[in-house]
Amino acid sequence: MSSIGLIANPVSARDIRRIIANASNLQIADRVNIVLRVLTAAHSLGVEHVLMMPDNGGIRALLQRHLARGHSQHQRWPVVEFLDMAPTSSVEDTLKATRLLRAAGVAAIVVLGGDGTHRAVVRECRDIPIAGISTGTNNAFPEMRESTITGMAVALYATGRLSAAQALSANKLLDISINDGAQRDIALVDAVISSDRYVGARALWKPENLSAVYLTFADPQAIGLSAIGGLLHPVGRRDPGGLAVQLASAEAPATLRLQAPIAPGMVRTLPIAHWQAMPADQPFDIVSDGGVVALDGERELAFDAGDRVQITLRENAFPTVDVARCMQIAASDGLLRLSSTH
Amino acid sequence: MTGNPFPLGKPELLEAYRKMRTIREFEERLHVDFGRGDIPGFVHLYAGEEAAGIGIISHLGDGDRIASTHRGHGHCIAKGVDPVAMMKEIYGKRGGSCEGKGGSMHIADVSKGMMGANGILGAGAPLACGAALAAKYRKKGEVAISFVGDGASNQGTFLESLNLAAVWNLPVIFVVENNGYAESTSRDYGVAVDSYVDRAAGFGLPGVTVDGTDFFAVHEAAGEIIRRARSGGGPALLECKMVRFFGHFEGDAQTYRGSGELDDIRANQDCLRKFAAAVTSAGVITAGELTAIDHQVLGLIEHAVVQAKAAPLPTAADLTTDVYVSY
Repeated sequence: MSSIGLIANPVSARDIRRIIANASNLQIADRVNIVLRVLTAAHSLGVEHVLMMPDNGGIRALLQRHLARGHSQHQRWPVVEFLDMAPTSSVEDTLKATRLLRAAGVAAIVVLGGDGTHRAVVRECRDIPIAGISTGTNNAFPEMRESTITGMAVALYATGRLSAAQALSANKLLDISINDGAQRDIALVDAVISSDRYVGARALWKPENLSAVYLTFADPQAIGLSAIGGLLHPVGRRDPGGLAVQLASAEAPATLRLQAPIAPGMVRTLPIAHWQAMPADQPFDIVSDGGVVALDGERELAFDAGDRVQITLRENAFPTVDVARCMQIAASDGLLRLSSTH
Repeated sequence: MTGNPFPLGKPELLEAYRKMRTIREFEERLHVDFGRGDIPGFVHLYAGEEAAGIGIISHLGDGDRIASTHRGHGHCIAKGVDPVAMMKEIYGKRGGSCEGKGGSMHIADVSKGMMGANGILGAGAPLACGAALAAKYRKKGEVAISFVGDGASNQGTFLESLNLAAVWNLPVIFVVENNGYAESTSRDYGVAVDSYVDRAAGFGLPGVTVDGTDFFAVHEAAGEIIRRARSGGGPALLECKMVRFFGHFEGDAQTYRGSGELDDIRANQDCLRKFAAAVTSAGVITAGELTAIDHQVLGLIEHAVVQAKAAPLPTAADLTTDVYVSY
């Protein structure tokens, strides 16, 4: 029986950026609609069982109301089973659900969230492919796409009609180490050094506090801190290496000033000192009087002047379902063509 | 850590801790004294929720007004109401904030911008809209804050106030203190739209959710929201996810809680412990400095109780005073 996992974070897109930058708020009802479209699409292509993270933020409750109404002429869905865990309404839920889904041996994990939610999943699991659906604030990692298509691509892979070689792509990530591994974490898109030095409301929006940006990829169309790199020296999601950008400081004078959309609705001017390629597996030492490392847009790891902070780019770090490629092959190989007699 | 990494100076951090500790010890003492039968009426304790009250109200001045809830002791202390007068009020004694005639759920001190605790759920939101309308006319950059629990957020008064605030672009902030239970009813059961940010969006207001047990998260988010309101940016909603250490009211058997839940939240979600760990590990404040405050606060609470017990009860003649305002 083909089984997939589904993690839908009800907490994403709730932070201070709604006040300071008019960031969107994707409502719970719409998140549930997205989940329903994934379920029906996956079921249409043969997925029979979905294991899902429970939550206390409204997604489970509303979804169960929909599912309890039963199938209709328009909609059918697979068996939906919630993981046996008590929600805490924190990132711990995503971490635990990922561990349980991995142990259950699902073929793939569909993730609804922003960069932070995807990062939490990858922290716990680097071997089961994930398929991201953007519902967060800074969505550089999950691509913007109709969830029906994501559900179809995942189903083609989960039911064996596409091989791993056909369906999956390898992704880069950043390893962050403080004091030789005493503290470790990862980032999927960006690790940013800020002089803020406390975690507070987590989001990062004060450009005067930024000192360096490390990126796995840099898209000129991206929103968020990775846009800084994207507008200086684009690096593709699948290209080798990443990018390191040093912002101006007393020691490193500005060579130019860059206007970049560092948060939704927020274009800011940043003084840039220089930038360079980040080859894989080469640690970059952070020179700072102390601050915080923000991971994928959220302040996470505070450090002091004496702490040794290193950031290292890793290639082939974890697989994602390459939805565009899956659908290309589905078209070219005629995977969705049925006999005219049936 | 070198220097102070926080957005507040050491004196402000010490003051925030002192006020949070004052609320905690005030409530812990009431828990004991109410259990002994020393206190008339009902009390609803704010212990566990201190970071929200202080994180928000520390941005306010006396000209800014707050409308509190039935669980109002923390808001009162945060807004600068005298704890001794509060204790007398709760003991029902003369010299209390309302001369002993209001009790726990009606403590008010307009001179401090504290418009009152309120025994009627959801009744504070329209009052805050009124204060915000006055502030808008006065043009001094003042704001009003309406505190509401997750349960009272289902009241029509609250929802109407969201609408009115949006229509009139009032400098009012709606703070949903979400401790998970409307009396004994779980929020998951009793609130159709589980996200208060979604609820605000339905009225065109921006909303933010923060960890209400993290003083610094509350303080930073509240600062941005209040600055926005002061400068004419309009109303907003702030949801603080928090925990209460005691029952809905004193005497509540709390059979609706999970086994081990109270032990867990005391151990892992104590906002005072989190604050102390943050400031001491950063090297900004020493454990000794915090302990000294703890002792001073205990002394203050003991003094307040002694004063309250010694104060006289109101007389029958006091029934007809303070009924009407003299202009």
